Amino acid sequence: MKINRSIAALLFGLALIASAVVLAPGASYSRQERDATFAAASRQHMAGTDELGRDRLVRVSAAFLLSLAGAIMASALTTAAAAGVGTLAAFGPASVGWLAMLVCDVFLALPWLFLLMMVRSALPLTTSPANSAAITFLVLAALGWPACARAVYRGALHLKSAEWMLHARASGLRSAQIVRHAIPNFFPLLLPQFLVCIPAFVIAEANLGALGLGVGEPLPSWGGMLLELDNSAMLMQTRWVYFPVALLIVVLLLLDAIAVEVE
Amino acid sequence: MKAAAAVPKWLGRALAIVLLVIVGSTVLVRFAPGYLSDAREMDSRYADAARAELSHEAARSRSLPRMLVSEMGGWLRGDAGLSRQYGVPVFELIRPRLAVTGGLMVRSIALAWALAILAALVSSAGRNPAAIWQAPSTLLLAIPTAAMATICLLANSGGPVLVMALLLSARDFKFLHRALRKAWLEPHVLQARAQGMKTWRILRFHLLPSLTAQLAALATLSIVTALSALVPVEVIFNVPGLGQLAWNAAMNRDLPVLLAITIIMALAVTCSGIAPQRADEWRNA
Amino acid sequence: MRLFRWLLICVSLILAVILADLCRAQAAPRKPGELVWTIGYDPKTFDPAKVDDQESELVRYLTAGVLLRFNRLSQKVEPRLAESWGLSSDGRTVTFKLRPGLEFSDGSNLTANDVAWSIRRVLLKDTGAPVAEEFVSPGEVTVDSPDAGTVIVHLPKRVIGIGKVFDEIAIEPADRPSEGRVTAGPFVVAEYRRSQFVRLRANPHYAVADGAALPYASGIRLDVLENPEQEVRLFERGQYDFIAGIPPDYFELLKQKDPASVRDLGPSLNTEQMWFNQAPSAPIPAWEKSWFQSRGFRLAVSQAIHRADLARIAYLGHATPAYDFISPANEEWYDHQISAPHTDVAAAKATLARAGFRVNGVALQDSAGHLVKFSILTNSGNAARMKMATLIQQDLGALGMQVNVVALDFPALIERLMHTQDYEACLLGLENVDPDPNAMMNIWLSSSPNHQWDPSEKAPATSWEAEIDRAMDRQATTMSHAERKEAVDRVQQIVADEQPFIYLVYPNVLLAVSPHLKGVEPAVLEPTIAWNVEDLRLDGQR
Repeated sequence: MKINRSIAALLFGLALIASAVVLAPGASYSRQERDATFAAASRQHMAGTDELGRDRLVRVSAAFLLSLAGAIMASALTTAAAAGVGTLAAFGPASVGWLAMLVCDVFLALPWLFLLMMVRSALPLTTSPANSAAITFLVLAALGWPACARAVYRGALHLKSAEWMLHARASGLRSAQIVRHAIPNFFPLLLPQFLVCIPAFVIAEANLGALGLGVGEPLPSWGGMLLELDNSAMLMQTRWVYFPVALLIVVLLLLDAIAVEVE
Repeated sequence: MKAAAAVPKWLGRALAIVLLVIVGSTVLVRFAPGYLSDAREMDSRYADAARAELSHEAARSRSLPRMLVSEMGGWLRGDAGLSRQYGVPVFELIRPRLAVTGGLMVRSIALAWALAILAALVSSAGRNPAAIWQAPSTLLLAIPTAAMATICLLANSGGPVLVMALLLSARDFKFLHRALRKAWLEPHVLQARAQGMKTWRILRFHLLPSLTAQLAALATLSIVTALSALVPVEVIFNVPGLGQLAWNAAMNRDLPVLLAITIIMALAVTCSGIAPQRADEWRNA
Repeated sequence: MRLFRWLLICVSLILAVILADLCRAQAAPRKPGELVWTIGYDPKTFDPAKVDDQESELVRYLTAGVLLRFNRLSQKVEPRLAESWGLSSDGRTVTFKLRPGLEFSDGSNLTANDVAWSIRRVLLKDTGAPVAEEFVSPGEVTVDSPDAGTVIVHLPKRVIGIGKVFDEIAIEPADRPSEGRVTAGPFVVAEYRRSQFVRLRANPHYAVADGAALPYASGIRLDVLENPEQEVRLFERGQYDFIAGIPPDYFELLKQKDPASVRDLGPSLNTEQMWFNQAPSAPIPAWEKSWFQSRGFRLAVSQAIHRADLARIAYLGHATPAYDFISPANEEWYDHQISAPHTDVAAAKATLARAGFRVNGVALQDSAGHLVKFSILTNSGNAARMKMATLIQQDLGALGMQVNVVALDFPALIERLMHTQDYEACLLGLENVDPDPNAMMNIWLSSSPNHQWDPSEKAPATSWEAEIDRAMDRQATTMSHAERKEAVDRVQQIVADEQPFIYLVYPNVLLAVSPHLKGVEPAVLEPTIAWNVEDLRLDGQR
């Protein structure tokens, strides 16, 4: 596994452009030009304006930096947690594995929606939109690991009986050392999980807006822009509503291509 | 012998899960904000009726341990209680919906696996650039399920099965593609290809068997993804299934209905993980 | 080659499943002459006496035979099962003369005995009928039926708008309550599939004065459907005959395709408003309470809000700026002379300065130096409300106030509003089904739990709240209509001066009606289109 430098540079470039757009003098993601709602693309608003007359390009760029950073971070955390729990369960004593998988199953079924409601009611209503976003992503990361942990556990069990593992054990390697060798073998399992979690978290954040969590107004939320797609009245208004989803696809493809397997 | 011993072990595990889920869900729902409030309280015409219902529920749920004991006792007797919003037995409410949702899940998972396996086989075998396959699957993952359903409605074609299947196949494909790519490059497959073995035979005897190892993980993943997509799909397409009921129950804090649905989901998730694993063991035995 | 065959089989299988799926997304088939529209959720009950939610009320409206009907278009009470009715001069005795030859839908005779039984059932405490409340002290009401065609109701105290109360009392066969299966109204409940539909069929024994065979429609199917997306789609395909209360964005969408299919009836009786939490027991900091209790603060907020922008942007022009709790659609009670604070940001800043607030840099502070920072709660799932909140956020930002917008699901929101009082400001709507201001008693009386800004006050907290209490009591007891009007005008003026509720807009009544539906005379009052359901019919029918 190695990093494809040119693609990493491309992603970094995108982030730079987004920062430049957000930080450009006169740019504001929250200023409402109320006489220019749903404006077409112009020199002033390169991607037009949204339903409240806010510059779409600036909002997408800000959301790119905010939501995507949050989602990538949360996704990385949850994947790491899954890898940890999965390997521990597989390489630990059988009872630990049994218990861990039991917890996973219960975890997958519980209605966490209500926990999120409790989190909301524990936070003061004046929590700033940025803090609320950060907390939301953390909670998502804390709740996202069990499905992947089960996949890792199965993979690890498989690996445990692999020949090189038997060799390693026979030649007296300590389990910590074995785990260190085993982890790279999980990458084919973990990487898709990591990538799948990113859009899922972006959208989950927006769905949590219904519970008073997530990125609050006037901060732009990428998920919120994606959810505009489920309103056909909005789809008929302007083609620019597809812009955030197109950008998300590009970013995901880049992330997918960034890690090249050494073959 | 091994298989016979596994049955009571599995039953014990299922029972433990059901009990844990009952405790967890009851606590979560009971202490969620709004358990003892009702939108009708704001409407002066209906406020009194709503308050009477709420005070009845408040009396029932005052002590959590007693509530837990009564819920668990009910479930052990096979009685899931009365729905809080509809006032009818929970099982009566769930039975017709279970069939609808079950059908939807089975059809969409079957379609998704067929699509995903087919796409993964072709994509991993061919020399075409990965992006051709990755782009559509990424596209399907990036669009929210609700938006996909809306676009289907707008286009006047496609239904719940199609939307669920597309979403699932995109996720499954991501996993299968990598797994198969590895399998194609394994030494024995390379040798078989070099010896001129027919592609069909390689698939049949080398690649598909290696897939079964992934099936358990894939099944869990599919079920979990399908369950999470059920709510938006059923709500938007107005399918009278469990997802729609779960959403209504959550918004009305209908604990007995939520408990029943959570237990069904927990059992579905557990079975999905167990079944392929057992099949694997029996095949190897 | 075999691989190809295998692939072919797979592909055809996939296509088969997709095709099977394509044919699925359909509403239930329509019976000939049947009208179809939607309701948002399952009716909680079909027992007309126990109705305690909106959809059950609609089913009751369509099925129940009533003595008097409140005409939603003319807003006058008209006799139905009663041939005539009269009120004694002290307003305490109501006499009904029944029409001769009345029958229930099963063909049995409808007599004064059935009427008296039905009214008594509603009054009984055990029935728990919400309508009973409207008799003020239902336990003391007595009902007599001196002969088969006369019913007399004796009230202990005069009740404002007593005629309208009988619009909500269904006459059922004595001792045989049937949950809408046997009625004296235009329709009867025929079939109910939970979460799918309620099917009504026409009552063959429905009595109408001029002999026409009403209702025209052979039946009604009410589909349970929450999602406007699906509703609009099925309406376009001709599967639904109308949509009442369509969201503004979908209204515009339908208008683009077929301008003749939608109607904007102008302002409804409903209001959208914002208010600050003034409850002394609220778990919020003391200095915030003192802002919210300060008239200057509320006035400044009201002056800073651009209501025209709210109507134009959040409702796409399908709303009317509001300054009063009575809508101009309610001509009888709306006070044209009211003087209310209009949008004026400079005046708002001056008002704040007079109330002791000052701007430090860009942020507003109170006299003790606390930053003016608060949250506005609203319910999730209402796009127009969310947009209004975001627009108000910027409007108040111009005064230096830092505002958070938080959307909560309804139960969580109600818990804060009604039980814990843990909120600062709230943006919600109020639905008025009755144009008579007496129906708003619960909102204005300071002792009421629905007195939202400070519920269930033991004694009026301020002199103006005490004055509202007195004026509302006066309009409820006086015999003179002019005096009632004067009292209600006074309340309107106090509310405009004190701004306990900051009124924002009156959403317009938006409808989509199929061109095939005839006999439509939409009213502003609920049920907007179905109010004259007997006259509704599909094209080419009779």
